[in-house]
Order: sequence, then structure tokens, then C-alpha cells
Amino acid sequence: MTYLLTSLVNGLVFGLLLFMVSAGLTLIFGMMGVLNFAHSSLYMLGAYLGYSIGRWTGFWPALLLAPLAVALLGAFIERYMLRRVHRHGHAQELLLTFGLALIIHEAIKLMYGPYPVEYAIPAELARTAFSVNGFNVPLYRLFIGAVAISMFVSLFLLMRYTRLGLIVRAALSQPLMVESLGHNVGFVFLLVFAIGAALAGLAGAVAGAFYPTGPNMAEDLGSIVFVVVVVGGLGSLEGALVASLAIGLLTTLTVGLDWTLAGALAPFGLSGWAASIGGLFSITLSSLTGSLPFIIMLFVLLFRPAGLMGERS
Amino acid sequence: MPLDRRDVLKLAGAAAAGFAAPAIAQARPALKIASVETLSGPGSTVNRLWSLGLKYGIEKINAEGGWNGQKIVYAEYDTEGTTGGASQKTQAAIADGAHIIAHGGSSNIGGQITEDVRKWNLRNPAAKVLFFGLGIEALELTGAKCHYHFFRFATNADIRIRALVAGLKAENALGKKVFSINQNYSWGHDIQAALEQSAGENDFTLVDKVLHDVNKIQDFSPYAARIAASGADTVFTGNWGNDLSLLLKAVQAAGLKVRFATTFLDLPGALSSAGSAALGYFHAELWNPQAFGAFGQELWTDYKAKMGTFPSTSEAKSILALLFLQQALKTIPEASKIDVDQIAQALERTSYKAPTGDVTMRAGDHQIAWPIVVSKVEQGAKFATDGTDMGFVPVKVIPGGEVLNTVQASCKMQRPS
Repeated sequence: MTYLLTSLVNGLVFGLLLFMVSAGLTLIFGMMGVLNFAHSSLYMLGAYLGYSIGRWTGFWPALLLAPLAVALLGAFIERYMLRRVHRHGHAQELLLTFGLALIIHEAIKLMYGPYPVEYAIPAELARTAFSVNGFNVPLYRLFIGAVAISMFVSLFLLMRYTRLGLIVRAALSQPLMVESLGHNVGFVFLLVFAIGAALAGLAGAVAGAFYPTGPNMAEDLGSIVFVVVVVGGLGSLEGALVASLAIGLLTTLTVGLDWTLAGALAPFGLSGWAASIGGLFSITLSSLTGSLPFIIMLFVLLFRPAGLMGERS
Repeated sequence: MPLDRRDVLKLAGAAAAGFAAPAIAQARPALKIASVETLSGPGSTVNRLWSLGLKYGIEKINAEGGWNGQKIVYAEYDTEGTTGGASQKTQAAIADGAHIIAHGGSSNIGGQITEDVRKWNLRNPAAKVLFFGLGIEALELTGAKCHYHFFRFATNADIRIRALVAGLKAENALGKKVFSINQNYSWGHDIQAALEQSAGENDFTLVDKVLHDVNKIQDFSPYAARIAASGADTVFTGNWGNDLSLLLKAVQAAGLKVRFATTFLDLPGALSSAGSAALGYFHAELWNPQAFGAFGQELWTDYKAKMGTFPSTSEAKSILALLFLQQALKTIPEASKIDVDQIAQALERTSYKAPTGDVTMRAGDHQIAWPIVVSKVEQGAKFATDGTDMGFVPVKVIPGGEVLNTVQASCKMQRPS
């Protein structure tokens, strides 16, 4: 019971963190029609900037300044890089973001060295929120969740109920029409990219203090975030939320399950036979935890290529 | 001042040597050591350390005169992180005339090189090479894959677990319930199997064991929950890199009262990212600067002066392997042709006096027997590690022979006749 409860909290928070990073990615995809390979690098950049700025200003101002700096960088990337190669087609945009990811990765290694830096949780949050039968749930974990939820709510309200949101949504689906109505679509795209970058930066600044801030964090999270976006449906914010939570919960809960195929055959009296064969039959579910998101992605692509809530196919 | 007979002879000898030396030196070949390591791409930062240690160690030996009247020649080859690349670069190193190939980074790549070297030596008996495993700890390398020209200078999973169990017992820190969490590949499997065996020989129960994906888990808190559910006193893990620091952080955040016994907590980045979560945890390794006394202190400061950083365990292990080799080479008469079989024989016979005790190379499977230092992470340690104020304080040094596993039955070594 303790295990189930703590795993639920852990899974939800991890899912929400995944959502923070994937929200920006899916927004930008909706806009550009291209996956931004540099997105998880912006997440890493947010963590490093949060760490560096935090040494001067303390944790809280850094939490605001780091995403802002990443947003500015995002705006710069959109205005002066992506827009220039846009007319050459999607492949060029894809290559550009891929190159950016490599450059950011190497630049981080040059400036901060190849090993993780000591980005610490502020003292006021380094406490235990509550304890379930002696198992502590850290306050910072809940803080990550709270930041993600407030981010989702404000983003949702902005997109759904404001005039700006209306224009953005219109520009994403019918850019030419919106432009002929006199709106500056270029600026809208710039804004979306900057917001997407800021979200990744914020996620990095918040999560970097909890998970190690190192030069591999972009690659570590990057692949899972792609899975989330694909499973949720490219371009769908709600889909990203559902997929993030599902993958977060699933990977957390399966850790404790030592189910095997051999065990599943027990009702047919075949478990002994299957276990004796070994191989695929004796792999425990818990040992597959890290691969589970990819297995899910495989099935989603096979049976619902547009993703759970995606419109494109 | 009149010269006596002895002085005259000395002078004559010096003169003769002075004239003859260039001719002999040209005739005598230099020993060539090739470091085949992953020097680019992911993992290169950690793997490069093995090469750096070799470079430093060879310069040190050369400063003392090298061997065979020549300086030892050192070259680096980049595997690019793949077994295919390792194969190619092994061939390149052999083509360049390497006598010894060394690799420390990965058991997987090491497994490829050892096979390549074995086959090369079978097909080219006139130009054999040796393969030195500096860090590769997979049991099969001295088991099913063992051969006469491979030498492991590092520990293996069995040795590490035996040492950790013995050290924790001596400190009364083992407890009755032990949890095993490891990465799901050969190394993790080896550690888990060693623990299962150890549970049979000692009075503790293995309450739960987990294998997880390598370098894929972002959130270890579910594993912390599983450790809590098991009620374990001590957690044994062979994890390294992110998998180790994330695990330690998650366990600390959950407020669990468990002790950890680790094998790779001393790699760069581990202690700094684990932070205070690592305090009081145990570690077993053949190298520990404090346990090595004056020798350790000297290496620590001299390495920093020459290479710019304090030596990590990887670098130190490269250097120690070379010192063992240097000891073996001293017993071989200088010759106009380098015979690696002769070096192999010398390695088997060598007894190296390390500050922690005697070191020998077991002839049966070419597994080295180093005394193992069991240490504990403490604040304000003499040798602060990884940019923190923490370090590894030795609690017990176990003689090599006591923790050495028996030669695996799968090792069928063909010795040259």
C-alpha cells in the first residue's frame, strides 16, 4: 500500500515534468511541422543557466531569469536561423535543429566540464512534505508538480480564452488566412517558439536541482520526450499531457512488478515449461521499465499513427 | 691522485658503453604500448582517463630509463565507442607494431579486443601481442573468453562483492537483510550472481533483487520505494554514472535508513552529484590514495602537477598496471627481439610489493590478485575527491588472496609449449 501510494505520487510528478518539456516541443511542432531536435538541449540550457544565475541571485530569481534567457535564445533561433532556412523545406529545418543540439551540447561541455555540476535544492524546499509509513515524499517533488500544473493551466487559459490565443491557434492551422487578415504571423511564430523554449528552460531550471545537471541530461530526457509527443499526437497539448502522465505512471508502477510471460501462462499450467525455456519468457516486467515507453510508442504508431489526440496522420 | 685498478676498470667500462651504446640501442627495439579506448563521442570523458593514466605511467617509466635500452613508445587509438571500431583500431595498432594493447573502458569492447587478439596470435605466431584489461571487469573475460595473452589488472564482480561483504562485516555494518540493485547487462548480472553466492556463504538474506535498464531511468524514486518495502539494511549496487547518483539521490530524498555498498562511487562526477547522500557509504577498490600512504600522496601531487587534475581511480589503475609490468620487465634480459610470450611468463612470476600488500598475477586465468581497500565516504577526508569536501577513508585492507574468486571452470587456457 505504501509502495502504491508513493509510486503514484512519484509517477504523477515525473509525468508532469515530462509534460513541461514536451508541451513546448509539441507546440513548436504544431507550428513548424518539424520536430525540434534542439528542444531537450534548451531544457539542459535552462538547468545550467538556473545553476549559474542562481549562484549570483539565489534560487528564486534564477527560476524566473533562466527561462527568460532561454526564451530570448529561442526567439533568436527562430528569427535568425529557422526563418532563413524555412524556405528550403523541412529537411533543412530538421538538420538545423539537429546541429544546434550538437553545438549546445559541446558548448556546455566546454564551459562547465564533462561532469555534472552541483545544482542544489534551496534550503526552504529541501524538506519532507509528508511521510507514508516512514517513506518520505520530498517537498521539492511536489513543487515540481505544482509548477507544471500551474504552467499547464495558464497555457491552457491563454490559448483557449484570450484573443492572443485565438490568433495563435488560427496562425497554426491557417497561416495564410491569418496573414491576409492583417496579423503579423511571423511574430506569432516567433512568440510560440520563444514560449516553447521558455517552458523547456523553466522545466530545466526546476528539474535540474532535483536530477543531476550534467551534459547528458538532454539526451537522457530527449528520447522519452519524443516518445511522449508522438504518443500524445504531434501538436496536441492535451495529448502531450495525457501521454506524459500515462508514461510517468506506467514506468513508475512497473518497477515493482516482477511479472514474467512464464507467470502469465500459469493459468494454463504452462509456467514451469515456459520458465525452463527462459529467454523472452523469463524477462521480468520491472527490468523493462526503461524500454516500456518505446514499446508503447511502437504500438501507438502501429494502430493509431496520429497519436492519441493528434489531428495529423 | 693515483688511480687504483677498480677505477681504471670503471672508466674503461664507461668508455666502452659510451661507444657501443648507440649501436646496441639501434639494434634493440622499443616496447610499444597501444591504448585502444573510446576517445570520442558519449562516454569518452570517462574512458579517456584510462589513456591519460597510461600516458603518465609510461612517461614515468621512461624517465627511469624505459626498458630494453629504449623509451617505451605509447600511442592512442579511438574505438569511437563501437566493437567494430575497436576491431579496426586493434588491427591498426598491431600493424603499427604494438606489443601490448590496453583497454579499460568497457567489458563489451574489451570482449571484442580479447577475441581479436586471441585470433591474431593463433594466425600470426611470429608476431604475437598481449592484451591488458585495465578496468574491464566482466567475469567471462577470465572465464569462457580467457586466453594466454590476456591479463586483467582490475578486480571483477566476485572480488568486489567478497571484499565489500568482508569489509562491512568487519565494521558491523552489513545487517541481516541485503538488497541488490543493478544494471541489466553483463556487469549487473555478475554482481547479482556474486551476491547470491555470497548470501549462501554468509549469514544475510538477499531480500530482493532488481535489474534495471542501463542509463535510461530518469526517476529512481520507485526503486527507492521498492527498497523501503523490502526493509533492507544494506543495498549493494554495481551501478555507475547517472544510474548511481540518481539512485543515491532518490534514496536520500525518500529518507531511507539504508547503507550502500558500491563499486563505482569513486568515478568522476559520482560523488559531486550524489552530494551528502553518499556519506557513510562503503566502497571496495584496489586503489585508495590514503591506504597507499606515502606512495599515494606522491602519486596524488605529482599527477596533479604533471597532468593538471588529481588522478581518478581509472587513471591510478592504469598507472598501477604499468608499475606491475615494469616489475615484470626487470626480470627479462634485454634482447634484440621482443618476445611477448616471455613478457607473459614474467608477468605470471612477478610479485609486486604495493603499499597495501603483495600483488600477484594468477597463472590459471591471468586475474590479478590485488589487496582490496574497503573504504567509507566521509566528510573532511584526507584526499578530498571530485571537487567535494568528501573522500574515501579506508576502513579495512583485505589481502588479495583472501577475496580472490576461484578460477572459473569455463577458462580453458592454451599455454604455449
